[in-house]
Amino acid sequence: MRIMLLTLAWLMLATPAMAQDNDDVTLLLNWYLYSEHAPFFLGQERGYFADEGIDLEIQEGRGSGPTVQAVAAGTVEFGYADVATMIKAAAKGAPVKAVGVLLQTSPMSVMGLTEKNIRTPEDIKGKTVAVTPGDAMSQVWPLFLQKTGLSQDDFQTVSGDAQTKLNAVINDRADLLLGYLMDQNMRIFDATGKDVHVIPFADHGVNLVSSGIITNTDMIQDNPDLVRRFLAAASRSIQAAKEDPEAAVDAMLASNPDAGKRDTLLRGLELTIPLYHTPETEGQPVFRVTDANMADSVQMLIDYGGVEADTASDPTVFYTNNFLP
Amino acid sequence: MSAARPLWLRLLHSVWLRPVLLLIILLVIWDIVIRVFAIPPYLIPTPASVVEALVEEWPRLFGESLVTTYATLGGFGLSIAFGIPMALAIAYSRTVESFVYPLLVFSQSIPKVAIAPLFVVWFGFGILPKIIVAFLLGFFPVVVSTVMGFKSVEADMLDLARSMKASKFQIFLRISLPQALPSIFAGLKVSVTLAVVGAVVGEFVGSNSGIGYVLQIANGNFDLPLMFAGLVVLSMIGLLLFIAVDLVERLMIPWHASQRGGIQATP
Repeated sequence: MRIMLLTLAWLMLATPAMAQDNDDVTLLLNWYLYSEHAPFFLGQERGYFADEGIDLEIQEGRGSGPTVQAVAAGTVEFGYADVATMIKAAAKGAPVKAVGVLLQTSPMSVMGLTEKNIRTPEDIKGKTVAVTPGDAMSQVWPLFLQKTGLSQDDFQTVSGDAQTKLNAVINDRADLLLGYLMDQNMRIFDATGKDVHVIPFADHGVNLVSSGIITNTDMIQDNPDLVRRFLAAASRSIQAAKEDPEAAVDAMLASNPDAGKRDTLLRGLELTIPLYHTPETEGQPVFRVTDANMADSVQMLIDYGGVEADTASDPTVFYTNNFLP
Repeated sequence: MSAARPLWLRLLHSVWLRPVLLLIILLVIWDIVIRVFAIPPYLIPTPASVVEALVEEWPRLFGESLVTTYATLGGFGLSIAFGIPMALAIAYSRTVESFVYPLLVFSQSIPKVAIAPLFVVWFGFGILPKIIVAFLLGFFPVVVSTVMGFKSVEADMLDLARSMKASKFQIFLRISLPQALPSIFAGLKVSVTLAVVGAVVGEFVGSNSGIGYVLQIANGNFDLPLMFAGLVVLSMIGLLLFIAVDLVERLMIPWHASQRGGIQATP
């Protein structure tokens, strides 16, 4: 009996001591697994996070919106989410901040089967476009139309959720959909074996940041050291994935065999890597976004994304590069 | 007697005021909880902001609610048109019952949300896929309660009618149907509220209009007041349709125990 009590006491003393060695950190992703997420699994596999004293758990998400809300509510420590979506929530008072912007060039695109021969924005006239109402792309879409001299009356619009958009293009109920240039085109190819032609918004003057690491402002205040260590490990992971995309995809598949087809994921990651930089940040460390890029993004959200100007007068409250290695 | 009661007491006993009172109490609790626990507006909106959104966006919400109501009524109508004949066949034929009923229960366990995207593929972006989802959700309660209604007709009454040489049709019209009606209406009431849910599920998956479409946009913009306002409008659609079915029920079976003395359980 006494031995049991002693053992119990020892366990109670020992457990917190062991937990102190490593911080348990959850990274909530923006979506179900796809190529973009592979670098984090590489960092996990190679122990980059453990090197910084972090026990990382990666969780799949259900959209950037819910991810931002979970980070704002303190349910998870870090989120990987669309920074534009985060800015919208922050403008409504959510205590969240981007601490590293990974995709500095927008992956947003309008795309359709190559066989439909829609190669330029001009070709969209008279076609049918599938969009998801309320999502990030549907809100940037008017800016793309403005930049390319199109109007809403030049084409038909059909609305549906993420899966419906894919189904609509695959089943010829729509000619085009709004999607990410490393995501939907791959899925359509996997389902039909047909090539997809992509018209990226970024090629037509739409400069908007995309996915990044976000965290709660309380976390920045109370545990800046953890933020710094997490970003150090994340930067190493991204760098390693840039050098060896295959290893990143294999790491993701080793952790989640259902994440997708290897070839597709690899192609997707190879398409993602060029988005890590704008021409201005080319050759610099990852995650380090320019002030101009962020200011443009915030202005775009004020003009088109329903963000009220007085809640977003200072773009610098939405992000910081101070914790990057 | 009742004239002697003070006004507030009479108001308290009014059937229509009671739920409104409870609603006001719930709204006050909602507001107090938000204030006490300092819940930020991007997680839960305040009642006042929801009312504000409801008033401000009313023309748009009203227009979109019509679209959702049409889909709901379409689905509900199909539920009646298919559900009641099928229930009759099941209730009157053991063969049909043994073939169809298990499959029906099996099909009911399929989550409609999972197959709704396919309806858009098959039927396009018009109102038809929404009607079908509303029908699929509303259909089952109609069948189950109608079957139950016809099966629980008193056997003694049937024997009596037969002994008096009533024709099968007469028995159906004079005894079975009246006795089954209360249970049919119970099913219809459940069905009509589920049909609203079905119509919105259909709109979520693929639609250019309707309350489901508004909810999606509000969600994307973190516009929680508008989202909750949309939910209030949906509940109102459900409530109004429920009341409509209830009124029809009173007209058709004024003799039934459930209808005596209004909808108040106690006088």
